[in-house]
Amino acid sequence: MTSAGHATHRRSAFSPVRALAILGLAGTGLLGGGCVTELPEHRTGGGTVADRQAAPAVERDRVLFDYRIAATALRRGDDTVAKEKLDDAIARIGGIIANSADAARARSLFASENSKVFIGEPYERAMAYFYRGILYWRDGEPDNARACFRSGQVIDSDPTNELDDADYVLLDYLDGFATAKLGGDGSDSFARAQRHAGERLALPPYQPKANVLVFAEYGYGPRKYATGQYGELLRFYTDDSPSRAARLVLDGGVPVPLPVYDDLGYQATTRGGRVMDHILGNKAVFKTGASVAGDVALAGSAIAHDSARRRDREGKDSDDQEFAAFGLGVLGMLGKLASAATDAQADTRQWDNLPQRLSFAALTLPPGAHVGRIEFLDRDGNVLEQRTQSVTFSVGPEGRDTVVFLSELKR
Amino acid sequence: MNHTSSFLLVAAVIAAGVSGCATSGVRQPAGVPPTVMRPDESGFVAGTGIESQDLVTVTDKMARSVLGIPEIARAQARPYIVLEPVTNNTRFPINKDIFLTRIRTQLNSKATGQVSFLDREMMKTLERERALKQSGQVTASADPNVVEFRGADYFLTGKLDGLTTRTSAGTSDYVLYSFRLTNARTSEIVWEDSAEIKKQGLEDAAYR
Repeated sequence: MTSAGHATHRRSAFSPVRALAILGLAGTGLLGGGCVTELPEHRTGGGTVADRQAAPAVERDRVLFDYRIAATALRRGDDTVAKEKLDDAIARIGGIIANSADAARARSLFASENSKVFIGEPYERAMAYFYRGILYWRDGEPDNARACFRSGQVIDSDPTNELDDADYVLLDYLDGFATAKLGGDGSDSFARAQRHAGERLALPPYQPKANVLVFAEYGYGPRKYATGQYGELLRFYTDDSPSRAARLVLDGGVPVPLPVYDDLGYQATTRGGRVMDHILGNKAVFKTGASVAGDVALAGSAIAHDSARRRDREGKDSDDQEFAAFGLGVLGMLGKLASAATDAQADTRQWDNLPQRLSFAALTLPPGAHVGRIEFLDRDGNVLEQRTQSVTFSVGPEGRDTVVFLSELKR
Repeated sequence: MNHTSSFLLVAAVIAAGVSGCATSGVRQPAGVPPTVMRPDESGFVAGTGIESQDLVTVTDKMARSVLGIPEIARAQARPYIVLEPVTNNTRFPINKDIFLTRIRTQLNSKATGQVSFLDREMMKTLERERALKQSGQVTASADPNVVEFRGADYFLTGKLDGLTTRTSAGTSDYVLYSFRLTNARTSEIVWEDSAEIKKQGLEDAAYR
């Protein structure tokens, strides 16, 4: 048999067509494996073309900007803007987001989580409702305020884990307080709030005749960061504020304590896992697997290439080895490309001007102007002088509660 | 098939194998859009917020219902009704006037002349205007010292109550809309009716 005839015989055993078919199969498997449940057309319901396209960056982050602007406006006393932004945000976070092209993209292998429309983690969404509730109360609508506090608790609840049930002290306490104000029985909510507070704090009994409600917040809230090999793990940390408590001194009278009822750092870190964590974990596994498969294929390609060169030097036919080297090289590149293109990064967009600690007090004051100061206390109960702020507000005539909002945060 | 091609095939299978779906193991990753259901229909979870279609459904029903009662349909004289804001006991902040406003517009459009509504929201403005007339600062077409503000024969008000369920299968909200007409003289509730709406949904896995 001639060498040409030998080569022909060998090619019939391992034909280029077969090699390409195998490569195609591998490529299909590699890329198709990243199927990520992209929605078929009929599953996307009545979505418009615009809906299926990527939302503009600003639109994706619209709720995030709403949150930040609302918090700043509330602290500056601009209720109109705060209400407008919170209503805009709540219109988006209050619904059920399903069959969303952006959300599907965020779940896909080759897009990061932050390609979805931002609505925030539960502690952020709960705070949007909390702030809106304060504003409703200020507008003389305690029932709508109570609705917001209830929605905040619903958002905070983790339906998959009873241990991580909704546990904001203030949301339940204020739910019951609003009910008591409206002439109802808020004792169930009070009992829930006391259970959340535990033994560390005895909640003041409701005073339905109180006409001044003081909401206070201090310290800087939790921050998000991504960790893990590919940044697929979402984590939170809080720089513990030196302001451990606060008190309100009015008209030179006895200080009104403003203890910590809720700590957002605690709320952020104790809510339990997300389904998205599982998805990001799978993305990370794929990214690693595709990279390893690429390494294996590239190593195989190098070995096959060496073998081909050795056979060449020995004057033997090396077509099979060259095909194998080429095929494995392509496969390896595909694997590495797929790995590089996979984005397992967790979404760390965050409401970055939230407070750490929330407090509340209900007072009964005569109508007219009241002047005083809010003092922040350290761990040992010493006043942090440089943080003291002056407070001025006016109590209106009977019929509507005066709602005072005090924040240590400047923006 | 020789060793090389076998190796290729194995590599292909490995590559395909490791490239699993990122959302494998996640139930209904795309979520389930909210579905309006009959209140007596058992669902996989429960509903969500108060929306415009609920407002239309509820107020249409209430307007039809209140027009049929004898106190309205066979009244000797046209009754005067005052609207009182509804009480919201749900977890959804709402515009509380919108329900009664729509009932009023429905009644006014469907039963012109059968009932009259008194505008108590304008009372402060009206009192100020009357005071101006009484003081002679503005003209008056009738004696401003005669009280012509009408008293109510009935008060129409309502209440929204809600029940929320949240499980791993989704979120469900049941809202009971109840309205009543109370005789201002006797405190008797002459009419009461309710409507129920239950909704449920499961958000996209990206938000769970």
